[in-house]
Amino acid sequence: MNLSNGARESAAAQAAVSVKNVSMRYDDFYAVRDASFDVPKGKFLTILGPSGSGKTTLLRLIAGFGKPTSGEIFIGGQPVSAVPPHKRVIGMVFQKLALFPHMTAAQNVAFPLKMRRHDARTIADQVERYLELVKLGGFGSRRIHEMSGGQQQRVAIARALVFEPDLLLLDEPLAALDVKLREEMQLEFRRIQKELGVTTINVTHDQREAMVVSDEVIVMNDGLIQQRANPVTAYRTPQNAFVANFIGVTNFLEGPATSVSGNEVAFRCAGHELSGISVGSGPEIKAGMSCSGAIRAEQIRVAAAPEKLADLTFRFTGEIIDAIFEGERMVYEVNVAELGGVSFRVFDHDPIGHTQFLPGERVLVGWNPKDMHVFGNNHSPN
Amino acid sequence: MRNSRVAYPLTWRVMDMLENVCARIWPASLHRLLPYLMLLPAVVLVGLLVLGLFQIGDASLRVLDTSTFLFSEDYSLENYRQAITSGFFAVVASRSLMGSVIVTVITLLFALPYAYLMVRTQSSGLRKFLLVALFLPFFIGQVVRAYGWLIILGNQGMVNEALGLVGVPPVRLLYNYPAVLFGLIQYMLPFAVLMLAPALTAIPEELESAAGSLGANWVRTFRHIVLPLARPGLVGAGLVVMTLSLTDFAIPAILGGGSQDFIANAIYDQFFRTSNQGLGAALSLMLVAVGSIMVGVVFAVFGAGTLAMTGGRK
Ligand SMILES: Nc1ncnc2c1ncn2[C@@H]1O[C@H](COP(=O)(O)OP(=O)(O)O)[C@@H](O)[C@H]1O
Ligand SMILES: [Mg+2]
Repeated sequence: MNLSNGARESAAAQAAVSVKNVSMRYDDFYAVRDASFDVPKGKFLTILGPSGSGKTTLLRLIAGFGKPTSGEIFIGGQPVSAVPPHKRVIGMVFQKLALFPHMTAAQNVAFPLKMRRHDARTIADQVERYLELVKLGGFGSRRIHEMSGGQQQRVAIARALVFEPDLLLLDEPLAALDVKLREEMQLEFRRIQKELGVTTINVTHDQREAMVVSDEVIVMNDGLIQQRANPVTAYRTPQNAFVANFIGVTNFLEGPATSVSGNEVAFRCAGHELSGISVGSGPEIKAGMSCSGAIRAEQIRVAAAPEKLADLTFRFTGEIIDAIFEGERMVYEVNVAELGGVSFRVFDHDPIGHTQFLPGERVLVGWNPKDMHVFGNNHSPN
Repeated sequence: MRNSRVAYPLTWRVMDMLENVCARIWPASLHRLLPYLMLLPAVVLVGLLVLGLFQIGDASLRVLDTSTFLFSEDYSLENYRQAITSGFFAVVASRSLMGSVIVTVITLLFALPYAYLMVRTQSSGLRKFLLVALFLPFFIGQVVRAYGWLIILGNQGMVNEALGLVGVPPVRLLYNYPAVLFGLIQYMLPFAVLMLAPALTAIPEELESAAGSLGANWVRTFRHIVLPLARPGLVGAGLVVMTLSLTDFAIPAILGGGSQDFIANAIYDQFFRTSNQGLGAALSLMLVAVGSIMVGVVFAVFGAGTLAMTGGRK
């Protein structure tokens, strides 16, 4: 697709936020390296990465706490490096919420409006409306420490949204909550974001959260953007071994590529030639290059009889090392002797048969070439 | 099978033995008493002070007969009447009271930015410098420091010499009220900073970032977030500075040169110059009363909770 120059520029103007070649260095250590991305108006973008990958740093730069070492950030098409935080109209929910302990919930929510010198009536109405929006109607007079974790969360969201900012930044605000509440709040985020249509950048290390809430995901590691895609694409066609490993549970096979033709690779592992495998969307692979083949735990099937895996191209024998019952599925650890004794993690959903293999049982594992992705190792980011 | 007792390391067996001995000396049934026992030294010390107060109270009610230099046998309020009605003591009292208020306000005004910078600065070098500069005066006693000021501010002092170089005639910088207040502020500053620093450390920096992102510039962040949250520290520091400067002796004596007496100086004179212990005792008790009232008023206005004495706030 070829955009004309003018069209590209208007696309950039359409972007609520545009990060261009931003780096952030502390002494001789780069917390963010050459990050570039746009967030279109009204979209929900998640930056997903392990702890220490530079997510908070990037978010704080967008909010205006600190200047990038190099690069520029545009908000609504305008460069903002000279704009202090309080002049950027950005709502931010902090990792530790940062609610004001000496104020009530309502006073917290009213704070940004007070700072903007709205009149008392407007403030009262608006606070009421936003407390209602986060389902905290009637809790306004509570002190912060009198509220539960989930309620504090909602106050923080209401406070970040009440002044109708152009942009909402979320810095892992759900990390401290227990699983049930976290999943509930994820859906809540999604609902509120859809309802208000506010452009949102969310930061998390929780891949499930990234999948659930986002229109698009940016995967980060060591300050570098690894991949930007919608959740399904990031999951189905990871760009490199890091992304494949970080999102979902992935098994890796190591070996040299033997031949490459178009989008398919053949590669050898423990004397077996595995052919017809998809090339990961990362850098080009050449024959002879050492590679990693990635296959997800749920794309491997396990069975005792070969007939059950008749529709799968690759089949290898192995032995169950561990069997974990997780309720909705079984998780097996299978030692595949035929592939040089690699250990595979396999998710087995068997809602009808309820088959359960026991440790020590000999089984077959199988999968299809199209579900496997090969990445060149010397281009691997880690 | 090995004997399990032998398997224990020696230190464990020693500890076991000690524990047994302790249990014999101090049986478990007495354990409830332990907290009270630990309170005892403090209670005894404060108690002694109260006994002294009774002694002073007794002395304050006896009048000195200037002809015989003996104290009257019977009680009267004559000393108090004299203290209240004498113009001299009224001047001294109002000078000390006003001084302590001025010193408190200015000290807090100076100490807050200092403590804030010390707590918040990114540069560890600056933090160390500020800390050293803070503790250095503690190693130099109050009296030595006051003499230092005499050297610097005296008629032939460094300041006047420097002024002389640019052609300004010597200025009288010492032995007046501003000199005393100046000395007191300089003396109190480290105390105030030391009491404010923990209070400011307890305020998460993220709260200030949050205020910024919500539209508050630094002035309003300071006013709406830092100041209210630093209130326990401010009240505590203010109380310490106010009571210390109200009752200070050395600085008014040395930098005031006898012309700027505070209450403590007047009391000293009564006890050790005119030997009118009755009047001195009355003045002392009135000072205690004024100090207590001041603390009481601060508590009433700001509440004891502001000193973080109630567990409400995390
Ligand atoms: N003020 C700072 N000074 C030095 N290093 C920092 C600073 N802030 C963050 N870092 C470093 O930058 C890296 C990225 O940090 P951060 O952005 O907080 O990661 P994340 O939010 O993804 O966990 C970390 O290695 C961290 O130690
Ligand atoms: Mg972080």
